[in-house]
Amino acid sequence: MSHALVPTKLEELWAYIAENPEAMLCAGGTDLLVKIRSRSVTPDCLICLERLDDLKGVRFEAGEIIIGALTTHRELLHDPIVQRDLSILASAVQNLGSPPIRNMGTLGGNIVTASPAGDTLAPLYILKARLKIRSKESSRSVPIESFILGPGKVDLRAGEILSEIAINQDSRFTVNHFEKVGRRNALACSVVSMAALMNIAEDNTISEIRLAWGSVGPTIMRFGDVERLLEGRQLTVRGIEDAIRKVQQSVSPIADTRASADYRRDVAGRLLLRLLSYASSR
Amino acid sequence: MSNRPANIGSTLLRPDALLKVKGEARFSTDFYEKGHVWAGVKRAGRPHAILKNIDYSEAIKLPGVIAVLTHKDVGGTNRQGVIKKDQPVLVEDRIRHCGDAVAIVLSDTRRSMEEAIRAIKLEVEPLPAVTDPRLSLKDDAALVHEKNEDRNILLGGAITVGKGRAAEAECDEIIEATFETQRQEHAYLETENGWARLDDQGRLEIVCSTQTPFRDRSEIAEALGLDLKNVRIIVPYVGGAFGGKDGITVQTLLALSAMHAAGRPVKMWWSREESFIASVKRHPSILRYRLGAKRDGTLHFLDVDITMDTGPYDHLGGVVLALAMEHSGGPYRIPNGVVDGRCVYTNNPISGAFRGFGVTQVSSGIERAMDLLAVKIGMDPLELRLKNALRAGDRNFVGKTLTTSTGITECLETLASHPLWTQRSFWKRNAGILKKRGVGISAIVHGSGYGPIVPDYANAKIELTGEGKFRVYCGVVDMGQGNSTANVQIVSSILNQPANDIELVLPDTERTLPSGSASASRCTYTFGNALISAAKIMKERLCRKAADLMMKKDPQEFSTTPITIRHLPTGSEIPLKVIANMMDSSERIVTAYFRAPVAEDLVTGDYNLRLHGMPHNLFSYAANLACVELDEITGKVTVENYATASDCGNVLNPQLYEQQIQGGAIQGLGLALYEDFVAVEGHVTTKDFSTYLTPTSMDAPDIESIAMGIYETTGPFGSKGIGEIATNGPLPAIANAIFDATGHMLEKSPITPESVLTALTEISKE
Ligand SMILES: Cc1cc2nc3c(=O)[nH]c(=O)nc-3n(C[C@H](O)[C@H](O)[C@H](O)COP(=O)(O)OP(=O)(O)OC[C@H]3O[C@@H](n4cnc5c(N)ncnc54)[C@H](O)[C@@H]3O)c2cc1C
Repeated sequence: MSHALVPTKLEELWAYIAENPEAMLCAGGTDLLVKIRSRSVTPDCLICLERLDDLKGVRFEAGEIIIGALTTHRELLHDPIVQRDLSILASAVQNLGSPPIRNMGTLGGNIVTASPAGDTLAPLYILKARLKIRSKESSRSVPIESFILGPGKVDLRAGEILSEIAINQDSRFTVNHFEKVGRRNALACSVVSMAALMNIAEDNTISEIRLAWGSVGPTIMRFGDVERLLEGRQLTVRGIEDAIRKVQQSVSPIADTRASADYRRDVAGRLLLRLLSYASSR
Repeated sequence: MSNRPANIGSTLLRPDALLKVKGEARFSTDFYEKGHVWAGVKRAGRPHAILKNIDYSEAIKLPGVIAVLTHKDVGGTNRQGVIKKDQPVLVEDRIRHCGDAVAIVLSDTRRSMEEAIRAIKLEVEPLPAVTDPRLSLKDDAALVHEKNEDRNILLGGAITVGKGRAAEAECDEIIEATFETQRQEHAYLETENGWARLDDQGRLEIVCSTQTPFRDRSEIAEALGLDLKNVRIIVPYVGGAFGGKDGITVQTLLALSAMHAAGRPVKMWWSREESFIASVKRHPSILRYRLGAKRDGTLHFLDVDITMDTGPYDHLGGVVLALAMEHSGGPYRIPNGVVDGRCVYTNNPISGAFRGFGVTQVSSGIERAMDLLAVKIGMDPLELRLKNALRAGDRNFVGKTLTTSTGITECLETLASHPLWTQRSFWKRNAGILKKRGVGISAIVHGSGYGPIVPDYANAKIELTGEGKFRVYCGVVDMGQGNSTANVQIVSSILNQPANDIELVLPDTERTLPSGSASASRCTYTFGNALISAAKIMKERLCRKAADLMMKKDPQEFSTTPITIRHLPTGSEIPLKVIANMMDSSERIVTAYFRAPVAEDLVTGDYNLRLHGMPHNLFSYAANLACVELDEITGKVTVENYATASDCGNVLNPQLYEQQIQGGAIQGLGLALYEDFVAVEGHVTTKDFSTYLTPTSMDAPDIESIAMGIYETTGPFGSKGIGEIATNGPLPAIANAIFDATGHMLEKSPITPESVLTALTEISKE
């Protein structure tokens, strides 16, 4: 790498991008620098986004929560809006990496990296996040599931950046659950993760549920049939047994040094059992 | 540090603590100079092959590249190793593992060095790789060293005790199990590195991160054909070692580089990835245990079979095997049996010294076997251990009579009355929803020193400086464990001098004296004993000087006091500085020698086993307890509490003691649950810390370390070895806790959530 550019304003950014079409964008660098070290990418020039203050922070706008793509994980954790209204995202970020990684890494970077193990992704899928993509000339908004195309593959064209993440809180959930299964309690790449948003009726039936799994397929996986099966069911072992099996049949995990495919498949289903702890004991 | 004299048995802050926190302590990585040369290594990249040609024609043309060196540039034997010199400095014609060093590039910049390394092409003829230690014993296995006497066996041996196998028939109960332990990486923060220069008189000066400066010096001289006197090794602060720097890493390569750098200083610093591939690891092992007892729980018979994978080179593999065999029966009286062991060559990564040194592996075997037996007999596992615990005067499993302090009973009794043990049923019943809990223990013995033949000695040196302060020349490396702090305490307390008036000279083959390796739980025992003698001689010499000066007859009337010598009857004082000025520089230096006592028992007629350290004479002991919680959904294991009671002699410094226990326990926790250095067909697949997982602070339980404080009469101020024992306890204690929770004994480590989940689902089926 021969040089790095550090724009502080968007106009500056667009100019740098135009002048250096081969340059790579760097937010916190916690994914990119690892790749540069292992020489899996060899950019000649980096455009660092870290001083673009316009792309940082969390705010309400027209009934939506807008998160700047350059907001770091640490900032998310300390943000009152995230704490109150996006607690599922907060719990995902809480166990992401380690303090130094959370200090540097950004939400936008986690999305654009598009790893099936990206911890914020499963919550963002079930929060129905929409992504704002901008270039010098244009701006478009896409649902996260159509932006992420495959492992490491996103719908981002030359000259575009991810600028904001928008979350419309159409419904409220009493259960905001995220669980990451990693091989240790910090600095762990997820082996399986599951995010769940759920409402439970007084009689312990599931009235509404949204589920998403990480690390068990090429992208985050959601199964509409599992959600439909669960809605109206009792929150008991018997009530969710067949959903567990269905999840186990539907996921398509791989094996690596962290876990076998069978383990991932098995546990992906079993993680639904954790939801039983939200059943009221009345 | 402190401006008052230190006391033995109380915490003295490490003199290096603040320096390290402030970043002021100088490590070998910190040596730079304008115009220095970078040296880097071309690695073989394949596990087994004939090396036909090294083509560096492109590499040498790259800008900045100064030279490319191969085995042809090595003047000496081109061999290194501690006991068996079977490792080439640079490969001649045979590649034996992926990390073999094939060529060195010298370059002006690190980047051009890396580019040149990539540009070197190796022409090879691949050979079948031997990567399964069991298969390496087969007749049709490829040979790793064609000229080795016993095919792929580096060292093998057997010991029969009592009636041997005949005793099996006399047992009421026998259990059998085969355990497998994995390869473990030391993962010290500071990767292997050094700095070297050849002066115009042909003298080589090497600053490096090592546990063994004096042995390195001989190895370098022999491998490169140099005069020992022309090689100097300096060891500044070391950023961790754990056995991984017990022997040559960069040293010879660096020395060779300096010989071709036209007098410029040379720096070599392995990346983490290179360190992973090239450095030694803990030996993977396969342990078959058959343990038999009488109905009342009296151990009667043990049959152990040990296979260890040493990779392509000895490093210290033979010694590791001998320790494993010696400790295979744990801290118990077992009158009859057989231990049969072998350390085999493969084309896997090199195995070598690692804190625990073979004892870690067999402790996990005997201790899991003990719990299997306890269940079979229907006896409490702690009671079974207490019943058979070794006492002074007993013979250990290999027949060595215990003549030094033997405190395993006290350790076990401490656990027996510990609340974590007495209240375990209550604790287990209170497991949360979808959780299961278990409590397990382990009892450990760990020998220290080099065994009966290799002399375990140290030479201490103390100098009274012109300012009336004291300089301690440390011949043994402190790689972070804190033995140099103990050195300050010893000198400060004997001479009654302020601790911060004691200056340390870190190991340097030209200034400090040969004192053996920083290994084998021996540093403070051996060097400390030498240092006590030196400090006493110094004290006596100074009192004599003062008596002469004050025209008193009896030096006994004097004592050293902070910065002075006092005549006790009159109270008059002479500043040490004044005394120092009246002494010749040779008089101001005291040296003293200590050689550790060794076992006289002839436990085996096999000289080779004895040369490799069988048996030891001095042992530390520990009993450990782990409380684990298992998650029934994922199989995740959480160690909620860990306690250890250890007999490591009298404690010189409680804080250092606790740090050794906690650090060792966490390293053992890594072995139990997380760390697995994987090589598939000889190729490393855990290439860095993203897949090689060590425990983090978030994974470490509360660790309680209780010292028995038993006085060892041969030890410095009653102390004995503490550096390794704590590493051995967690794997068996945790496995036994999982056994307690699930009824399944997991035989393979690391214990993965996957294997626990299988055990848990099996009980729900039963
Ligand atoms: C030790 C360690 C531990 C980790 N642990 C976890 C973990 O537990 N969970 C987890 O999910 N991740 C983890 N990660 C991965 C990483 O930290 C996260 O994915 C992080 O959110 C990435 O953000 P970043 O800002 O650092 O991205 P960068 O590395 O700066 O960028 C990543 C990629 O996204 C592109 N990019 C970044 N921002 C934008 C944008 N606004 N517009 C367009 N393109 C953009 C970059 O060009 C680059 O290709 C870990 C990484 C490390 C090194």
